[in-house]
Amino acid sequence: MSLLFISLTGFAAVQRLMPVSTTVTIEAEGRIVYRLSLLKDQRVKVKGPLGYTIVEIKGQKVRVVDSPCPKKYCVLQGWKDRGAIVCLPNRVVVTIGGKDDSQIDAITG
Amino acid sequence: MKRKGFYLISLILIIVLSGCSSNQERIFKKSEILMDTIVSITVVSTSKEKAEAAIDRAFKELKRLEGLLNFYSEESEIAKINRNAGMRPVKVSPETYEVVDRARTISEKTGGAFDITIGSISVLYDFVRKKRPSLQKIQGLLPLVGYKKLVLNPEERTVYLKEKGMKIDPGGIAKGYAADRAVEILKKAGIKAALVAIAGDIRCYGTKPDGGDWIVGIQNPRAEKGEDVFATIRLKDMAISTSGDYQRFFIENGKRYHHILDPSTGLPAEGLISVTVVGPLATYTDSLATAVFVKGLSEGQRLAERMGYYIVAVDRAGNIHISDGIKKKVSLILDRIDVGSEQ
Repeated sequence: MSLLFISLTGFAAVQRLMPVSTTVTIEAEGRIVYRLSLLKDQRVKVKGPLGYTIVEIKGQKVRVVDSPCPKKYCVLQGWKDRGAIVCLPNRVVVTIGGKDDSQIDAITG
Repeated sequence: MKRKGFYLISLILIIVLSGCSSNQERIFKKSEILMDTIVSITVVSTSKEKAEAAIDRAFKELKRLEGLLNFYSEESEIAKINRNAGMRPVKVSPETYEVVDRARTISEKTGGAFDITIGSISVLYDFVRKKRPSLQKIQGLLPLVGYKKLVLNPEERTVYLKEKGMKIDPGGIAKGYAADRAVEILKKAGIKAALVAIAGDIRCYGTKPDGGDWIVGIQNPRAEKGEDVFATIRLKDMAISTSGDYQRFFIENGKRYHHILDPSTGLPAEGLISVTVVGPLATYTDSLATAVFVKGLSEGQRLAERMGYYIVAVDRAGNIHISDGIKKKVSLILDRIDVGSEQ
Protein backbone atom coordinates (compact mmCIF):
# COMPACT_ATOMS: atom_id res chain seq x y z
CA MET A 1 0.00 0.00 0.00
CA SER A 2 2.74 2.40 0.91
CA LEU A 3 4.50 1.62 -2.34
CA LEU A 4 1.30 2.29 -4.23
CA PHE A 5 0.94 5.58 -2.37
CA ILE A 6 4.48 6.65 -3.22
CA SER A 7 3.96 5.56 -6.77
CA LEU A 8 0.71 7.47 -7.18
CA THR A 9 1.91 10.65 -5.54
CA GLY A 10 5.11 10.50 -7.53
CA PHE A 11 3.13 10.05 -10.70
CA ALA A 12 0.82 12.92 -9.86
CA ALA A 13 3.72 15.19 -8.96
CA VAL A 14 5.60 14.53 -12.14
CA GLN A 15 2.49 14.81 -14.28
CA ARG A 16 1.98 18.22 -12.75
CA LEU A 17 5.59 19.24 -12.88
CA MET A 18 6.34 17.94 -16.32
CA PRO A 19 3.26 18.49 -18.42
CA VAL A 20 3.32 17.06 -21.91
CA SER A 21 4.78 20.17 -23.39
CA THR A 22 4.12 21.54 -26.82
CA THR A 23 6.90 24.08 -26.64
CA VAL A 24 10.05 23.89 -28.71
CA THR A 25 12.84 26.09 -27.41
CA ILE A 26 15.80 26.88 -29.65
CA GLU A 27 18.94 28.30 -28.13
CA ALA A 28 21.99 29.58 -29.99
CA GLU A 29 25.24 30.32 -28.18
CA GLY A 30 23.46 30.14 -24.81
CA ARG A 31 20.63 32.51 -25.73
CA ILE A 32 17.01 31.59 -26.37
CA VAL A 33 16.21 32.70 -29.90
CA TYR A 34 12.88 30.94 -30.48
CA ARG A 35 10.01 29.55 -28.45
CA LEU A 36 7.79 27.74 -30.93
CA SER A 37 4.70 25.57 -30.78
CA LEU A 38 5.13 21.90 -31.59
CA LEU A 39 1.61 22.00 -33.01
CA LYS A 40 2.45 24.38 -35.85
CA ASP A 41 4.44 23.06 -38.80
CA GLN A 42 7.26 25.45 -39.65
CA ARG A 43 10.93 25.88 -40.52
CA VAL A 44 13.32 28.33 -38.90
CA LYS A 45 16.94 29.34 -39.43
CA VAL A 46 19.16 29.88 -36.40
CA LYS A 47 22.54 31.57 -36.64
CA GLY A 48 25.47 30.01 -34.81
CA PRO A 49 29.21 30.65 -35.04
CA LEU A 50 29.58 28.38 -38.12
CA GLY A 51 26.50 29.60 -39.96
CA TYR A 52 22.83 28.68 -40.10
CA THR A 53 21.20 25.62 -38.55
CA ILE A 54 17.81 24.84 -40.06
CA VAL A 55 15.18 23.38 -37.73
CA GLU A 56 11.89 21.93 -38.92
CA ILE A 57 8.72 21.20 -36.96
CA LYS A 58 6.22 18.89 -38.67
CA GLY A 59 3.49 16.57 -37.39
CA GLN A 60 4.40 17.39 -33.76
CA LYS A 61 8.00 16.31 -34.27
CA VAL A 62 11.22 18.24 -34.62
CA ARG A 63 14.41 17.69 -36.60
CA VAL A 64 17.51 19.52 -37.69
CA VAL A 65 17.30 19.65 -41.48
CA ASP A 66 20.81 20.99 -41.99
CA SER A 67 23.65 22.50 -40.01
CA PRO A 68 27.12 23.73 -40.97
CA CYS A 69 28.82 21.23 -38.61
CA PRO A 70 31.36 18.76 -40.03
CA LYS A 71 29.88 15.47 -38.80
CA LYS A 72 26.13 16.24 -39.02
CA TYR A 73 25.35 14.31 -35.83
CA CYS A 74 22.41 16.63 -35.17
CA VAL A 75 20.92 15.92 -38.61
CA LEU A 76 21.47 12.17 -38.23
CA GLN A 77 19.35 12.14 -35.05
CA GLY A 78 16.27 12.59 -37.24
CA TRP A 79 12.78 13.37 -35.93
CA LYS A 80 12.23 13.76 -32.18
CA ASP A 81 9.09 14.37 -30.17
CA ARG A 82 10.82 14.72 -26.79
CA GLY A 83 14.20 15.48 -25.30
CA ALA A 84 16.70 17.63 -27.13
CA ILE A 85 18.79 17.86 -30.28
CA VAL A 86 22.15 19.53 -29.86
CA CYS A 87 24.53 20.77 -32.53
CA LEU A 88 27.70 21.17 -30.52
CA PRO A 89 29.91 22.75 -33.21
CA ASN A 90 27.32 25.39 -34.13
CA ARG A 91 26.23 25.77 -30.46
CA VAL A 92 22.52 25.26 -31.16
CA VAL A 93 20.26 23.46 -28.66
CA VAL A 94 16.71 22.48 -29.59
CA THR A 95 14.67 21.40 -26.56
CA ILE A 96 11.22 19.88 -26.73
CA GLY A 97 9.25 20.18 -23.53
CA GLY A 98 9.03 22.42 -20.54
CA LYS A 99 11.39 20.89 -18.02
CA ASP A 100 12.53 24.38 -17.03
CA ASP A 101 9.30 24.87 -15.10
CA SER A 102 9.52 21.64 -13.13
CA GLN A 103 10.60 21.28 -9.55
CA ILE A 104 13.07 18.63 -10.61
CA ASP A 105 16.44 20.36 -10.37
CA ALA A 106 18.30 18.07 -12.77
CA ILE A 107 17.99 14.75 -14.56
CA THR A 108 20.56 11.97 -14.48
CA GLY A 109 20.65 9.54 -17.36
CA MET B 1 -2.47 49.32 25.80
CA LYS B 2 -3.69 46.54 23.55
CA ARG B 3 -3.47 48.90 20.64
CA LYS B 4 0.13 49.79 21.49
CA GLY B 5 0.98 46.08 21.60
CA PHE B 6 -0.58 45.65 18.18
CA TYR B 7 1.52 48.47 16.73
CA LEU B 8 4.65 47.05 18.30
CA ILE B 9 4.05 43.61 16.80
CA SER B 10 3.30 45.17 13.41
CA LEU B 11 6.53 47.14 13.56
CA ILE B 12 8.60 44.09 14.46
CA LEU B 13 6.96 42.10 11.66
CA ILE B 14 7.74 44.78 9.10
CA ILE B 15 11.37 44.89 10.19
CA VAL B 16 11.67 41.11 10.06
CA LEU B 17 9.96 40.89 6.67
CA SER B 18 11.98 43.68 5.11
CA GLY B 19 15.10 42.11 6.54
CA CYS B 20 14.11 38.89 4.82
CA SER B 21 13.46 40.45 1.46
CA SER B 22 16.80 42.20 1.19
CA ASN B 23 18.75 39.09 2.18
CA GLN B 24 16.55 36.52 0.57
CA GLU B 25 18.23 33.52 -0.96
CA ARG B 26 17.41 32.91 -4.57
CA ILE B 27 18.35 30.36 -7.21
CA PHE B 28 20.59 31.38 -10.11
CA LYS B 29 21.22 29.03 -13.01
CA LYS B 30 23.39 29.14 -16.10
CA SER B 31 23.96 26.57 -18.85
CA GLU B 32 26.73 26.25 -21.39
CA ILE B 33 27.81 23.72 -23.96
CA LEU B 34 31.04 22.20 -22.71
CA MET B 35 32.73 18.79 -22.67
CA ASP B 36 30.53 17.76 -25.62
CA THR B 37 27.38 18.20 -23.60
CA ILE B 38 25.13 20.65 -21.79
CA VAL B 39 26.50 21.79 -18.45
CA SER B 40 24.22 23.54 -15.95
CA ILE B 41 25.30 25.23 -12.76
CA THR B 42 22.63 26.19 -10.25
CA VAL B 43 23.57 28.15 -7.14
CA VAL B 44 21.72 29.51 -4.13
CA SER B 45 22.77 33.02 -3.17
CA THR B 46 21.47 36.27 -1.76
CA SER B 47 23.41 38.24 -4.35
CA LYS B 48 23.12 38.08 -8.12
CA GLU B 49 26.64 39.45 -8.58
CA LYS B 50 28.17 36.93 -6.20
CA ALA B 51 26.26 34.07 -7.86
CA GLU B 52 27.29 35.09 -11.35
CA ALA B 53 30.92 35.57 -10.41
CA ALA B 54 31.04 32.13 -8.77
CA ILE B 55 29.31 30.43 -11.70
CA ASP B 56 31.68 32.09 -14.18
CA ARG B 57 34.67 30.95 -12.17
CA ALA B 58 33.36 27.38 -12.15
CA PHE B 59 32.76 27.44 -15.91
CA LYS B 60 36.27 28.76 -16.44
CA GLU B 61 37.66 25.80 -14.52
CA LEU B 62 35.50 23.38 -16.52
CA LYS B 63 36.84 24.85 -19.77
CA ARG B 64 40.39 24.40 -18.50
CA LEU B 65 39.66 20.77 -17.57
CA GLU B 66 38.10 20.16 -20.97
CA GLY B 67 41.35 21.31 -22.55
CA LEU B 68 43.36 18.89 -20.42
CA LEU B 69 41.11 15.83 -20.59
CA ASN B 70 39.53 15.83 -24.06
CA PHE B 71 40.08 12.36 -25.58
CA TYR B 72 39.40 13.70 -29.09
CA SER B 73 41.64 16.77 -29.05
CA GLU B 74 45.25 16.41 -30.12
CA GLU B 75 46.13 19.27 -27.77
CA SER B 76 44.96 17.59 -24.56
CA GLU B 77 47.21 15.96 -21.99
CA ILE B 78 45.29 12.73 -22.48
CA ALA B 79 46.19 12.75 -26.19
CA LYS B 80 49.81 13.39 -25.26
CA ILE B 81 49.84 10.38 -22.89
CA ASN B 82 48.28 8.24 -25.65
CA ARG B 83 50.75 9.42 -28.31
CA ASN B 84 53.63 8.47 -26.05
CA ALA B 85 52.29 5.02 -25.17
CA GLY B 86 55.08 2.43 -25.20
CA MET B 87 57.67 5.20 -25.50
CA ARG B 88 57.93 7.48 -22.48
CA PRO B 89 56.12 8.74 -19.37
CA VAL B 90 54.37 12.09 -19.77
CA LYS B 91 54.40 14.78 -17.10
CA VAL B 92 50.88 16.07 -16.56
CA SER B 93 48.94 18.67 -14.56
CA PRO B 94 47.82 17.77 -11.02
CA GLU B 95 44.23 17.47 -12.28
CA THR B 96 44.98 15.03 -15.11
CA TYR B 97 47.12 13.03 -12.72
CA GLU B 98 44.31 12.95 -10.16
CA VAL B 99 41.73 11.75 -12.71
CA VAL B 100 43.97 8.94 -13.93
CA ASP B 101 44.92 8.02 -10.38
CA ARG B 102 41.29 7.84 -9.25
CA ALA B 103 40.42 5.87 -12.39
CA ARG B 104 43.07 3.34 -11.46
CA THR B 105 41.67 3.12 -7.92
CA ILE B 106 38.22 2.28 -9.29
CA SER B 107 39.74 -0.22 -11.73
CA GLU B 108 41.49 -1.98 -8.84
CA LYS B 109 38.41 -1.98 -6.63
CA THR B 110 36.19 -3.32 -9.41
CA GLY B 111 38.65 -5.88 -10.76
CA GLY B 112 38.84 -4.01 -14.06
CA ALA B 113 35.07 -3.70 -14.68
CA PHE B 114 35.87 -0.03 -15.14
CA ASP B 115 39.08 0.47 -17.08
CA ILE B 116 40.28 3.85 -18.32
CA THR B 117 42.59 2.10 -20.83
CA ILE B 118 39.59 0.97 -22.93
CA GLY B 119 40.43 3.73 -25.47
CA SER B 120 41.91 1.56 -28.24
CA ILE B 121 38.55 -0.24 -28.50
CA SER B 122 36.02 2.49 -27.60
CA VAL B 123 37.39 4.63 -30.43
CA LEU B 124 36.25 1.99 -32.97
CA TYR B 125 32.54 2.36 -32.16
CA ASP B 126 30.50 5.09 -33.87
CA PHE B 127 26.98 5.09 -32.45
CA VAL B 128 25.70 7.85 -34.69
CA ARG B 129 26.81 6.16 -37.91
CA LYS B 130 25.94 2.73 -36.49
CA LYS B 131 29.42 1.31 -36.88
CA ARG B 132 31.07 -1.30 -34.70
CA PRO B 133 34.34 -3.17 -35.00
CA SER B 134 34.47 -6.82 -36.04
CA LEU B 135 34.99 -9.46 -33.36
CA GLN B 136 38.36 -10.24 -34.90
CA LYS B 137 39.46 -6.62 -34.69
CA ILE B 138 38.33 -6.39 -31.05
CA GLN B 139 40.17 -9.56 -30.10
CA GLY B 140 43.32 -8.27 -31.76
CA LEU B 141 43.20 -5.07 -29.71
CA LEU B 142 42.10 -6.49 -26.34
CA PRO B 143 45.71 -6.97 -25.13
CA LEU B 144 45.99 -3.16 -25.26
CA VAL B 145 43.31 -2.82 -22.58
CA GLY B 146 44.55 -3.23 -19.03
CA TYR B 147 44.94 -0.79 -16.15
CA LYS B 148 47.79 -2.89 -14.78
CA LYS B 149 49.87 -1.61 -17.68
CA LEU B 150 49.22 1.96 -16.59
CA VAL B 151 52.21 3.35 -14.67
CA LEU B 152 51.80 6.35 -12.39
CA ASN B 153 54.68 8.12 -10.74
CA PRO B 154 53.47 10.48 -8.00
CA GLU B 155 56.87 12.09 -7.40
CA GLU B 156 57.40 12.99 -11.04
CA ARG B 157 53.64 13.35 -11.65
CA THR B 158 53.91 11.29 -14.81
CA VAL B 159 51.57 8.87 -16.56
CA TYR B 160 52.87 6.09 -18.77
CA LEU B 161 51.11 3.46 -20.86
CA LYS B 162 53.44 0.50 -21.18
CA GLU B 163 52.46 -0.67 -24.66
CA LYS B 164 52.35 1.18 -27.95
CA GLY B 165 48.77 1.58 -29.16
CA MET B 166 47.29 1.71 -25.66
CA LYS B 167 44.86 4.59 -25.15
CA ILE B 168 43.34 6.24 -22.12
CA ASP B 169 39.67 7.16 -22.66
CA PRO B 170 38.57 9.29 -19.71
CA GLY B 171 34.93 9.32 -20.94
CA GLY B 172 33.70 7.28 -17.99
CA ILE B 173 35.16 9.48 -15.27
CA ALA B 174 36.06 12.97 -16.58
CA LYS B 175 32.59 14.50 -16.32
CA GLY B 176 32.18 13.29 -12.76
CA TYR B 177 35.60 14.65 -11.86
CA ALA B 178 34.74 17.97 -13.48
CA ALA B 179 31.51 18.19 -11.42
CA ASP B 180 33.56 17.65 -8.25
CA ARG B 181 36.03 20.36 -9.27
CA ALA B 182 33.24 22.82 -10.09
CA VAL B 183 31.76 22.23 -6.63
CA GLU B 184 35.16 22.95 -5.03
CA ILE B 185 35.34 26.24 -6.94
CA LEU B 186 31.81 27.25 -5.90
CA LYS B 187 32.52 26.43 -2.26
CA LYS B 188 35.71 28.51 -2.36
CA ALA B 189 33.71 31.39 -3.83
CA GLY B 190 31.50 31.31 -0.73
CA ILE B 191 28.43 29.66 -2.27
CA LYS B 192 26.52 27.80 0.45
CA ALA B 193 24.43 25.56 -1.81
CA ALA B 194 24.68 24.51 -5.44
CA LEU B 195 24.06 21.83 -8.02
CA VAL B 196 26.41 21.13 -10.91
CA ALA B 197 25.07 18.94 -13.72
CA ILE B 198 27.45 17.86 -16.46
CA ALA B 199 24.85 16.04 -18.51
CA GLY B 200 23.85 13.19 -16.17
CA ASP B 201 26.83 13.50 -13.82
CA ILE B 202 25.58 15.63 -10.98
CA ARG B 203 26.96 16.84 -7.67
CA CYS B 204 25.06 18.98 -5.20
CA TYR B 205 25.54 20.40 -1.73
CA GLY B 206 23.54 22.44 0.76
CA THR B 207 19.81 22.99 0.51
CA LYS B 208 17.52 25.03 -1.71
CA PRO B 209 16.17 28.41 -0.47
CA ASP B 210 13.06 26.69 0.95
CA GLY B 211 15.32 24.41 3.01
CA GLY B 212 14.49 21.41 0.83
CA ASP B 213 16.86 18.86 -0.68
CA TRP B 214 17.83 18.95 -4.33
CA ILE B 215 15.58 16.75 -6.44
CA VAL B 216 17.07 14.74 -9.28
CA GLY B 217 15.00 12.75 -11.74
CA ILE B 218 16.31 9.44 -13.07
CA GLN B 219 15.80 9.03 -16.80
CA ASN B 220 13.52 6.21 -17.92
CA PRO B 221 15.83 3.95 -19.97
CA ARG B 222 12.94 3.17 -22.31
CA ALA B 223 11.33 6.62 -22.37
CA GLU B 224 9.91 6.00 -25.84
CA LYS B 225 7.39 3.72 -24.10
CA GLY B 226 6.24 6.15 -21.40
CA GLU B 227 7.35 8.62 -18.77
CA ASP B 228 10.62 10.52 -19.22
CA VAL B 229 11.63 9.98 -15.62
CA PHE B 230 10.95 6.77 -13.67
CA ALA B 231 11.99 7.97 -10.22
CA THR B 232 13.06 11.04 -8.33
CA ILE B 233 15.63 11.13 -5.57
CA ARG B 234 16.20 13.72 -2.87
CA LEU B 235 19.85 14.62 -2.40
CA LYS B 236 21.92 16.74 -0.08
CA ASP B 237 25.72 16.83 -0.23
CA MET B 238 25.73 13.99 -2.73
CA ALA B 239 26.69 13.07 -6.27
CA ILE B 240 24.74 10.97 -8.74
CA SER B 241 25.50 9.47 -12.15
CA THR B 242 23.78 7.10 -14.53
CA SER B 243 25.07 4.70 -17.15
CA GLY B 244 22.49 3.31 -19.53
CA ASP B 245 22.31 1.31 -22.72
CA TYR B 246 20.04 3.98 -24.20
CA GLN B 247 22.47 6.91 -24.07
CA ARG B 248 24.55 6.06 -27.11
CA PHE B 249 23.46 3.01 -29.05
CA PHE B 250 22.16 1.57 -32.29
CA ILE B 251 20.12 -1.49 -33.06
CA GLU B 252 21.32 -3.96 -35.68
CA ASN B 253 19.30 -7.08 -36.55
CA GLY B 254 17.23 -6.59 -33.40
CA LYS B 255 20.28 -6.42 -31.13
CA ARG B 256 21.22 -3.30 -29.21
CA TYR B 257 24.84 -2.16 -29.37
CA HIS B 258 25.60 0.49 -26.76
CA HIS B 259 28.59 2.42 -25.44
CA ILE B 260 29.16 0.71 -22.08
CA LEU B 261 31.88 -1.73 -23.00
CA ASP B 262 33.03 -4.67 -20.92
CA PRO B 263 36.82 -4.22 -20.79
CA SER B 264 37.30 -8.00 -20.65
CA THR B 265 35.52 -8.59 -23.99
CA GLY B 266 35.47 -5.22 -25.73
CA LEU B 267 31.75 -5.77 -26.34
CA PRO B 268 28.73 -3.91 -24.90
CA ALA B 269 28.01 -5.23 -21.40
CA GLU B 270 24.79 -7.20 -20.96
CA GLY B 271 22.49 -7.79 -18.01
CA LEU B 272 21.32 -4.36 -16.91
CA ILE B 273 19.87 -1.50 -18.93
CA SER B 274 20.44 1.38 -16.51
CA VAL B 275 22.57 1.90 -13.43
CA THR B 276 22.41 5.00 -11.25
CA VAL B 277 25.02 5.39 -8.52
CA VAL B 278 24.67 7.78 -5.56
CA GLY B 279 27.46 8.76 -3.17
CA PRO B 280 29.80 11.49 -1.98
CA LEU B 281 32.02 12.06 -5.07
CA ALA B 282 30.89 12.43 -8.68
CA THR B 283 34.27 11.09 -9.85
CA TYR B 284 33.28 7.78 -8.29
CA THR B 285 29.54 7.80 -9.06
CA ASP B 286 30.48 8.32 -12.73
CA SER B 287 33.03 5.52 -12.94
CA LEU B 288 31.16 3.15 -10.61
CA ALA B 289 28.01 3.45 -12.74
CA THR B 290 30.00 1.92 -15.60
CA ALA B 291 31.59 -0.70 -13.34
CA VAL B 292 28.26 -1.81 -11.81
CA PHE B 293 26.72 -1.98 -15.28
CA VAL B 294 29.56 -4.26 -16.40
CA LYS B 295 29.63 -6.40 -13.24
CA GLY B 296 25.90 -6.99 -13.17
CA LEU B 297 23.41 -6.48 -10.38
CA SER B 298 24.45 -8.53 -7.36
CA GLU B 299 28.21 -8.24 -7.66
CA GLY B 300 28.03 -4.63 -8.83
CA GLN B 301 25.78 -3.61 -5.98
CA ARG B 302 28.06 -5.28 -3.44
CA LEU B 303 31.09 -3.49 -4.88
CA ALA B 304 29.43 -0.08 -4.79
CA GLU B 305 28.01 -0.51 -1.30
CA ARG B 306 31.36 -1.65 0.05
CA MET B 307 32.70 1.75 -1.02
CA GLY B 308 29.80 3.60 0.62
CA TYR B 309 27.89 4.15 -2.63
CA TYR B 310 24.28 3.15 -3.44
CA ILE B 311 22.55 2.09 -6.60
CA VAL B 312 19.26 2.26 -8.47
CA ALA B 313 19.42 -0.29 -11.27
CA VAL B 314 17.04 -1.51 -13.96
CA ASP B 315 17.47 -5.06 -15.26
CA ARG B 316 16.62 -6.33 -18.74
CA ALA B 317 13.14 -7.40 -17.64
CA GLY B 318 12.43 -3.85 -16.47
CA ASN B 319 12.59 -4.55 -12.74
CA ILE B 320 13.90 -1.73 -10.57
CA HIS B 321 16.43 -2.53 -7.82
CA ILE B 322 17.28 0.02 -5.11
CA SER B 323 19.97 -0.17 -2.38
CA ASP B 324 18.40 -0.27 1.08
CA GLY B 325 20.53 2.72 2.12
CA ILE B 326 18.70 5.14 -0.21
CA LYS B 327 15.21 3.63 -0.42
CA LYS B 328 13.81 6.41 1.76
CA LYS B 329 15.17 9.08 -0.58
CA VAL B 330 13.70 7.57 -3.75
CA SER B 331 10.15 8.16 -5.01
CA LEU B 332 9.17 5.77 -7.77
CA ILE B 333 7.03 7.16 -10.55
CA LEU B 334 6.91 3.82 -12.35
CA ASP B 335 6.92 0.50 -10.50
CA ARG B 336 8.70 -1.16 -13.40
CA ILE B 337 10.01 -0.21 -16.80
CA ASP B 338 8.15 -1.35 -19.90
CA VAL B 339 10.98 -2.84 -21.96
CA GLY B 340 8.72 -4.06 -24.78
CA SER B 341 9.74 -7.11 -26.77
CA GLU B 342 13.39 -6.21 -27.26
CA GLN B 343 15.82 -8.99 -26.47
